[in-house]
Amino acid sequence: MILHKAKGTRIEGKKSMSKALPLHEYLNPPFVFIPLLQQATPLKRIVEIGDKVAIGQVVALREGFGAMPIHASVSGTVTAIKKVWHASGRMVEAIEIQNDNQNRMDESIRVQTDISLLSRNDLIAKMQQAGLSGLGGAGFPTYIKYQTKCPIDVVIINAVECEPYITCDFMLINAYPEKLLKGLSYLMRAADAKKGVIAFKTYNTDIKKNLEPLLVNYPGIELYEVKDIYPAGWEKYIVQKITKKTYAGLPAEAGAIVDNSATAIVFADVVAENIPLISRVITISGEGIKNPQNFFVPLGTPVKELIQLAGGYVESLNPMKAWYIAGGPMTGRAILIDELVVNDTLGSVIVKPMPDEKHHPACLGCGKCADACPVYLTPTEIQRALESKDSQAIKELNAQKCMQCGLCSYVCPSHIEISDYVAKAKELLRKGA
Amino acid sequence: MARFANGKAPFLRKADEKTYGTQVIMRDFLIGLLPLIGFAWYKNGIKVYIEGNATFLEMFYPIIFIILGGIISMIIEGLFFIITDKEIRSFKSLMNRLSLSYAMIPGILLAMILPLYTPIWVLIFGCIMATLVAKLLFGGFGYNIFNPALIGYAAIAFTLMGVINRAGGALNGSEVLVDAIAGATPLSTLSTTNVLSYQTLVAPYGSLWNFFIGTIPGALAETSALACIISFVWLSARKVIKWFVPVIYIGTVFILSWLIGIISGQTGIWFPTYSILSGGLMFGAIFMATEPVTTPKNPLGKMVFALFLGVFTVLFRFVGQYPEGVATSIIFMNIFSMPIDKWTGVIRTEGVTKKTIIKIVILVILIIAIAAYALFKASSIYTATIELPLIMRGWN
Repeated sequence: MILHKAKGTRIEGKKSMSKALPLHEYLNPPFVFIPLLQQATPLKRIVEIGDKVAIGQVVALREGFGAMPIHASVSGTVTAIKKVWHASGRMVEAIEIQNDNQNRMDESIRVQTDISLLSRNDLIAKMQQAGLSGLGGAGFPTYIKYQTKCPIDVVIINAVECEPYITCDFMLINAYPEKLLKGLSYLMRAADAKKGVIAFKTYNTDIKKNLEPLLVNYPGIELYEVKDIYPAGWEKYIVQKITKKTYAGLPAEAGAIVDNSATAIVFADVVAENIPLISRVITISGEGIKNPQNFFVPLGTPVKELIQLAGGYVESLNPMKAWYIAGGPMTGRAILIDELVVNDTLGSVIVKPMPDEKHHPACLGCGKCADACPVYLTPTEIQRALESKDSQAIKELNAQKCMQCGLCSYVCPSHIEISDYVAKAKELLRKGA
Repeated sequence: MARFANGKAPFLRKADEKTYGTQVIMRDFLIGLLPLIGFAWYKNGIKVYIEGNATFLEMFYPIIFIILGGIISMIIEGLFFIITDKEIRSFKSLMNRLSLSYAMIPGILLAMILPLYTPIWVLIFGCIMATLVAKLLFGGFGYNIFNPALIGYAAIAFTLMGVINRAGGALNGSEVLVDAIAGATPLSTLSTTNVLSYQTLVAPYGSLWNFFIGTIPGALAETSALACIISFVWLSARKVIKWFVPVIYIGTVFILSWLIGIISGQTGIWFPTYSILSGGLMFGAIFMATEPVTTPKNPLGKMVFALFLGVFTVLFRFVGQYPEGVATSIIFMNIFSMPIDKWTGVIRTEGVTKKTIIKIVILVILIIAIAAYALFKASSIYTATIELPLIMRGWN
């Protein structure tokens, strides 16, 4: 229906800031902290203090829905179980591993020789063993998506990175273009899909330049440029653009599976060498960082060390008047103490001075929030329904459709926390249901 | 270890930019009024002075009158804050508060839609009704249900119109001298004669071109369609208003007027054109029907709102006894902007589904029924032929 064509708003990208310096590999931090939390699920620890671990050794298990192992990202000794700040904004228990700098590999990491013989189920089993999860930000276990019963026509690599400041996918793709295509071709086999599409924003000409010459070796893989709008990286938006179909729940209903580009690159290593998910790229950027750049790090690396490697904070920064944001500036979370560790879903840390305070009048009812909403909600009405605790009305207004992109707050001329109201309304619905 | 500030996503806000925000929207809105104020000054001041029917000081009266409206509104709002708000202790905090509640806008708009020779005390009365009753008693900026300026206008229209007419009314120094006009504005001629004739409705004022330019009798600053269109383009380009609200509103009135003309035997395209160019329709559609606080918030709601305004304006204008239908229909529809918002909010996000079809059908039936009733009633009121010699007096 014509009303429901996905749409977005242009936001200034501020990406050049972290593109200036090359991808910085920082593979041996003195300590890593493996958080015992994946998505919202607590993990079961299976190592004790004093245990020697190797890279790729299983140290914890996710149980129940999405069960999969979690691996050590450096070799060394488990020295403590400590609480650390997690990207979810809470303190969670983590396994502290002291790095022995020997890079000992677990015996499970070995070169796979018979890749062409692997069946769809073998590949999906590999995803599970590798603890592969979506590196875009949701952290959803990848293998569950591939176990779908729906026939899949196309695997889409989401390299759109529509949030401002973040460049981690961009950097990773340009460093390993071949691996991305390999990973995608394995993902296509894991989904029995004939087609693979890599979606990226039009201005990322580097990605096009790097990938296009390689495409001849990978039949069925295409590039797809999306407009420079936010939230163009939203799963539903991409699937709608590419398949011309829409869906209610999961993209599989439209015959598509969407994965982040970093996930595909990790999967290339998973298949070829059985290296599980132990590292990722993270963008350290923002006006509060001296030399914004991207780091390739083992999971569990303290962000503090990365900020120091990036030159530290700018001198003029007053932390009490600045935000330390885990994730992108549109959907991320303010972390109050800069003791964060890198986990699978953390694509960026942005340090940003707060803008000068301005006086803002009350809501004037301009309706820009409703105008900007990519899912056609009317946030002002949802706010009114929330204030009267009218969960029936909230439901009718489809508050559950909100994906918290933050555009309504972004465009509000009166600086009202309107997306927060919608989030609360959503919460009320969930509790009520 | 450093402690950082807390905050809520998104951490980027357009409102933090200097070139964006409610202040900027209101500034652009005021700039949008300038073409109309400029034209009002030209028509009722400069032109009259050049023709020798006003003194040099009288030339400035239209401008002074409009500014006075803004100042009176600010004083009323300032007094209200001083009396009710404990936090207002200094002049600076008072001015700060006033700047955030855009106190002068109702007064300026009210002055613009009043006749030129409205006595100042009537203007003060209107400003009190607009600012105090329609705005502040509802909770101030952002909480009012009715358009403040229109409430002020309605209060004056229902009680003090005679006073205004005795003081000189809408006709400026030059227009009074033209016999053909005989003290009437185009719409009042229509409501007293009930005849759709080019000779009585348009000819006394020259041609439709004069209607478009705005050199016809009427309220101080609402006569010029040209100035309204310039403002419309500016306000739409600056995204202060939604372009489709005035277009749908005026379009609906145009089509329904045309139908009324056809039913009454007057098929000329001049009649609907006359209908949209006369009275405060252009002004109301561009500045009042788009007023954000008192109209629906979501785009679909705004469309439905504009459609309803169109049919009600036609109903009030052609069937009601009162010559102007714009103010009445906007005030009337202001009551319904909240329910419209609620329904269209659901329809917009759901699309046409089982859950929303009833609401859509009810809205469509309502609009069609009101329009049909207006057409039916109007057809029995108006004729296209001139029967009464009384009317001839005007242009002979």
